[in-house]
Amino acid sequence: MPYPASAYKAALDKFYHYLQGYVPLTKHEFHQLEPYFEIREFEKKVKVIHAGEVERYLNVIAWGLVRKYLPVRNREITVQLASEGHIIHSELSFHYRVPSRAVVETIEPSVFLSISYDSLEQLYERFPKVERLGRLMISDLFIKKDNRYFDQLRKTTRERFLEYVKTHPQMLQRVPQKYIASYLNIKPETFSRLKHLMRPKRSRGEVGVKD
Amino acid sequence: MLEMLRQYVSGYVALTKEEFAVVAGRLVIRNFDKKQLLVKAGEVEEYLNFIVKGLARMYFYKNKTEVITNIAREGEIISSSSSFLSGTPSNYYVETLEPSTLLSISRQQLEQAYKESPSIERLGRLMTTHFVLQKEEWELECMRLDTKERFLRFVGNNPELLLRVPQKYLASYLNMKPETFSRLKHLLRKRTPVFR
Repeated sequence: MPYPASAYKAALDKFYHYLQGYVPLTKHEFHQLEPYFEIREFEKKVKVIHAGEVERYLNVIAWGLVRKYLPVRNREITVQLASEGHIIHSELSFHYRVPSRAVVETIEPSVFLSISYDSLEQLYERFPKVERLGRLMISDLFIKKDNRYFDQLRKTTRERFLEYVKTHPQMLQRVPQKYIASYLNIKPETFSRLKHLMRPKRSRGEVGVKD
Repeated sequence: MLEMLRQYVSGYVALTKEEFAVVAGRLVIRNFDKKQLLVKAGEVEEYLNFIVKGLARMYFYKNKTEVITNIAREGEIISSSSSFLSGTPSNYYVETLEPSTLLSISRQQLEQAYKESPSIERLGRLMTTHFVLQKEEWELECMRLDTKERFLRFVGNNPELLLRVPQKYLASYLNMKPETFSRLKHLLRKRTPVFR
């Protein structure tokens, strides 16, 4: 394994705290869940799932950077950009057990904590608490999705740009610009132009946003 | 009335009589005339509504134009779901299009039901999952399909809505100009095989 075991322990710890944000979970309960997860490692620019395959896994990103996109007439529309602690998978394919239309591809070398469809079903059967955990996580996902959908429909290009760079400053450093532009539904040229709205704050060595 | 809901719920989980009663005992029946607002933008959505009779739409204002994001009829759920789930103010308006009868459950009552029965908790999880997937499917379709394909797919799946819902609302829902919608209606007369 290219990563030391302690690194995985750190990732699992993070995951434990993440779950605790939804339901109180003892260490012991968490350890019972652990065997249901698999650790999967990928190099950068690897397609974790291709269009046409049935998605087997729900993935939590332990570390790395991943995007999900929809191939449409020779174009790739980025629908999700996810980093550490986020969940990414082709959800329609995963839940309905149908071929995926979306592609999930790593941008950086990445490690996933993945749970298969069958293992997840077993978890729900065996641990009633997971039922609540699942419900709350999915509710949260719905709320996030709805907010994004609403923003796409209602906000201007400039507003979407400014909000994203304000809330995701680290993504701007890590993700190729064209993917962010696609995700925000902004033309790459427009995206470049909008970058002028940002001025480096030299004193703090950070990228600031000028409103 | 409850029979309709029982049938809807059975699509997600098999509930015993007692389990179903946990939900049924917490419902309220709400009647509305047409064009009545169930919730306004800025208010918190207090109810999850199952439509027994009638038709409703969800929309928001972009500048001064209404943009419709959902249309629901008998046997379906309507609610400003994100607000209902989060308890934060709604971005949307929900309004009846026809006189409607709803079976509604409040957030507090639903929370109680979750506590009382793991099967209800499961029902909640599966329904919420379904809502997420519906949203995802709709979003991907909007990216993947062109105007004509979206039109044909929608009317193919919902022929009766064409008769019940004002055309400008359907056009808004499908994100096309009303003129485009009218023009596309000619495709229906020519017995074009419906796109699936």
